[in-house]
Amino acid sequence: MRCHGRPWAVLAAVTKGLLILWAVPGQEGWPLKAPTVQQTQALVKLMAEDAQELFTFYEKDHHLAIHNICRTNEPPQWLQGPVKGPCVLQRLWQPMVHMDQALQDIIRHQRDLSPPGAEILRRLNNTHRNVRGLLNNLAGLFPALSPRPSHRPPPSPAGPTSIFKQKLQGCRILWSYASFMARSSAQLEARGGRRCRERRRSQRGSRIPARP
Amino acid sequence: MDHFIVLTVLLPLRTCYTTYSQQESAVFPVTYLNVSKDLALQRLLVEWDVVKSAHDAKLAMSFEIQVSQTDDTNKTVWTEFHNVTLDKLGKPFHWRWDSDLPLECVSHTVRIRSKAETSKIWSQWSLWETVLDLDTSNSSGPQIFPNEKILEEGSDTTFCCIGRKDQIIKEFSVLPAVRAFIHMNGRLGFLTVEGVTHHKAPHIHVYCKEPCNEDQCLAHSIFLVGRAPDTPKDFSCQTQDMRIVTCTWSQGGDTYLYEKYSPKYTLSDKLSQKMILCTPSCSKQCSCSWDIGQQRIWNVTVTVENPLGKKTAVDAFNVNHRIYPTAPFHVWEECTETEITLHWNYQNNGIELLCQTEILHPHGKVELHNSSDMHSPHRSITVGGLQPYTEYTARVRCGAAKHFWRWSEWSEAQTIRTEEATPSGKLDMWREITPVLGGRNVTLFWKKAAGFRANGRIISYEVTWEKIEDGFKPESISFSSVYNSTRIFIDNHSYRISIMAKNNVNFSLPSVLIISKATDNSTEELKEEQVNGTDDGIFISWEPRCIYDSYIIDWCNFPKLQPCDLQWKRFGPNISSAVIKSAVFVPGERYNFHIYGSLANRASLLEKKTGYLKELPPLHDPIVDKIELTFNTVTLSWDSYLTNESQSGFVKGYHIYVSPVQENCTLKGSKKHILSGDSELCKYTIENPEEKRYTVEHLMSNTKYKLVVKAYTGGGETPILNFLYVDTPYNSTVLYFLFLIVIVPTLVAAMCHWKKKWVKECCCPAIPSPHKSKVLSFKEFKISSEKVLKISDCIPDMLAMDNKAEAQKLHSWSQLSPTPTEDKTDGHDSSWIYPEKNVERGFAPIPTPQTHNWFENFAYFSHLEVESDPYQIPERLEASKPELAVVLYQPHCYIDIFNEDAASTDRETAGRKSSLRYISQTDLHCLGKRL
Repeated sequence: MRCHGRPWAVLAAVTKGLLILWAVPGQEGWPLKAPTVQQTQALVKLMAEDAQELFTFYEKDHHLAIHNICRTNEPPQWLQGPVKGPCVLQRLWQPMVHMDQALQDIIRHQRDLSPPGAEILRRLNNTHRNVRGLLNNLAGLFPALSPRPSHRPPPSPAGPTSIFKQKLQGCRILWSYASFMARSSAQLEARGGRRCRERRRSQRGSRIPARP
Repeated sequence: MDHFIVLTVLLPLRTCYTTYSQQESAVFPVTYLNVSKDLALQRLLVEWDVVKSAHDAKLAMSFEIQVSQTDDTNKTVWTEFHNVTLDKLGKPFHWRWDSDLPLECVSHTVRIRSKAETSKIWSQWSLWETVLDLDTSNSSGPQIFPNEKILEEGSDTTFCCIGRKDQIIKEFSVLPAVRAFIHMNGRLGFLTVEGVTHHKAPHIHVYCKEPCNEDQCLAHSIFLVGRAPDTPKDFSCQTQDMRIVTCTWSQGGDTYLYEKYSPKYTLSDKLSQKMILCTPSCSKQCSCSWDIGQQRIWNVTVTVENPLGKKTAVDAFNVNHRIYPTAPFHVWEECTETEITLHWNYQNNGIELLCQTEILHPHGKVELHNSSDMHSPHRSITVGGLQPYTEYTARVRCGAAKHFWRWSEWSEAQTIRTEEATPSGKLDMWREITPVLGGRNVTLFWKKAAGFRANGRIISYEVTWEKIEDGFKPESISFSSVYNSTRIFIDNHSYRISIMAKNNVNFSLPSVLIISKATDNSTEELKEEQVNGTDDGIFISWEPRCIYDSYIIDWCNFPKLQPCDLQWKRFGPNISSAVIKSAVFVPGERYNFHIYGSLANRASLLEKKTGYLKELPPLHDPIVDKIELTFNTVTLSWDSYLTNESQSGFVKGYHIYVSPVQENCTLKGSKKHILSGDSELCKYTIENPEEKRYTVEHLMSNTKYKLVVKAYTGGGETPILNFLYVDTPYNSTVLYFLFLIVIVPTLVAAMCHWKKKWVKECCCPAIPSPHKSKVLSFKEFKISSEKVLKISDCIPDMLAMDNKAEAQKLHSWSQLSPTPTEDKTDGHDSSWIYPEKNVERGFAPIPTPQTHNWFENFAYFSHLEVESDPYQIPERLEASKPELAVVLYQPHCYIDIFNEDAASTDRETAGRKSSLRYISQTDLHCLGKRL
């Protein structure tokens, strides 16, 4: 972790880490426990911030901040928003499943370019962990979304062989992901996450005990 | 016949000449030329050939090859000569050339000409053969060449960008910003980076742009920067069990290329021409292991390869010669007082082993003992010559006895202590004797001497003492091993004292000391000598005496403490000096040393020494307890100052520093001492530490002085921090003198001022004006400007005629007395000439009881024009100029001015009666001038 030698940066990082520990139950040292909506919302908010930081770092680290080549208006289909309507959290499931796969690809490419322990790898792995954490939370909140073999995304097709194209592709995905997470976080803050569950409960009857 | 012979000789010669001439002028032009390109390697491939006859003749030929780049310059960029010897196979020739410009961006043309080595003539050039650059007429956007690849660190690389048809390159740049040369010409741009390093740019991002803003107007390429792998170092293969061979090597430097670009290692066997199936693993070292089967001879090559290069290392070996046994295990030991027997097991693979045992002594000494194999998995070795009751560390390792390759790892180390034995040697004992009433207190000290070995754990010490005279029963006492001293009381007889150490096995030999009979001979009379410290300790020397078999020096490590930690050291009979060292010796502490001579365990005090490891400046300055002050001296006393062992050095004397407070010091007899602030002090030195009084002389009165007394030792003196201040008093003599020259005249002046009328009358009476006198109220007869009284103008009361004799008499009379006197005989006063010189000599007028007025008026002599020294006395005048007497003898008109009748007024009369002597200043002047 880079602290830049400033106490507030260290404090912010520690706070963020503690929030993630709280928001993603079942992590190391925590008893396996179903997440709450508030935890998941908080996680989404943290991931939105983290995604923006990751994109900024990636763009700068790879010298791609020219001609706005990363900041595409044509995101991958699975990250196209907006996340509108009810059940915002539930709608995060599919994008996160794709993002999980995309991050694996990006990390693999980056391993060819950077030494073990490089900052970019550390950040990508951290984001990847958060995506998986969110998927776990969503699975806990919405058991119906639990991964089924048929619902898993197909393995990613062979990516571009050009190093530049690999970098650019990764950069564009991270840009789209940061935008998507920002929108999702804003939606959750605006609407709250309970409605979907309450509506579903009222329609189908509650199978999951309500959490405070 | 003769012709035939001649022809026979000439014909071959002719043939040879013709052939040679033909060869010399033979030309074999290039018959075939083909140029192609390897874009991946950015390399031109050139193929050409010559006529078959050249091959058949197996000529040695030279080819000159020229390469030209058909960009805007179209210049020849490379010329090279290629030598080759032809053969009958007739294969075409090949040559390759790496272009520094991407082959996609610039067309390249090649031409060749040839020359047989025997020929002097080059063939014609072949036609230019061209490989064209990339046709971009159908491109969808600008393109950057070469294609993405890995650049070798430190290399120079030129990139080019080709724009689409009818487009120009507007922007061509590189990120991060490294040193680059950019050249753009229409739809073609070139960018060269030189000596790029991974540190500055791990990835180089090159991009170019046409003037439009769409995505297709941009082209990007990424180039990684790395290094070719180093040759594997220390490549070596070995086996532990004759079944699995493991090869190890070191990687070398970082290539900065990771994962799929990282160096890949492969192993192959040259003998079997097969790849070795093993998986290299690298952490600190790389290694690879495989099953060798029955193959015993191997020639293994390790190859490391990355996109920038390939390196190899080879190890050829016989497996039987590369045995690296496993470490021995199950090591156990047996021991006696002086021997250790070590036992161990090892994995028996039918290999004959040589084993080595290492014994580590307590003081770090290492002993190695080898033992040969007995084909038994159980092995042992016995190591002797060890010390009893001593801890040793032992371990063992093995190697192949035949074709030794290297030792195995060491077995686990065993710590072994040998058994106890009787103590060897004697203790070293010393004593301190204190006389007390009825006898002496003897404090005994003991320690382990250099030759003493406890050979076990000391349980106790046994001290025995007995009178040397027969018939007395010895006394003894036993002490625990923790003690190293004791005190016993003995009477004034001679005593024999002994001490023994005891361990679990036995006693040591006794160490003996004899205390002589107490006598009155006091050793206090021995003079204590000063000794010097050195870097190593305190140097002591003594006068050698041949009667002693050893010398002992004792001292206290802490002389100011009680007990003082008495130490002693023994020396042989031939030694007469030593440097006494102690870890607790500190600078500034005085240590006292006693030197004893010992004969048959009986010690006598010989000398006393005292000294410092290093002398330090005195801890305290002398306190001046008495100051005696006069107007020009100050006497300082510091009698209470101690110069004994309480000092941190031997006090060698004192320095007295003096200076006026306001200025620098320049006192007579002193030396100059400059302080840190550049102020100067006068310095006096006393070289006798017992002289504690000093008088500083030649001081100025009424001046404030600062003084300080500093003691100095061999370590110098402390810095001057505080001064003593004294004020010298006024000098009373000067005051008295001042009083005389200032106060008294002032008082006199005041008195004069107060009584000025009286003084005036006394000293400066009113001068009567001769012009106002009736005497002078005569008709004027002037000589020059002066009035002359003619006889005819006055009516004299009396007329006297003087002759020369009378005048002389009168003159002689005047010579008898320097002071003019009055002629009282006839009651007439006369006027006299007084040379002023006489007045200056201090001839004061002699007061007369009768007051007279005399009137001197030199106007009466105004006609006497004699040029002479005004100070010359008249007598001399007369003597030198006798003729003047004639002049002087002229009749004078003497006027009795005291005759009241002669006075013109009453006032004048009163003035005359005032008894004042009047000399006209004007006339005095005239007098001087004339005389």
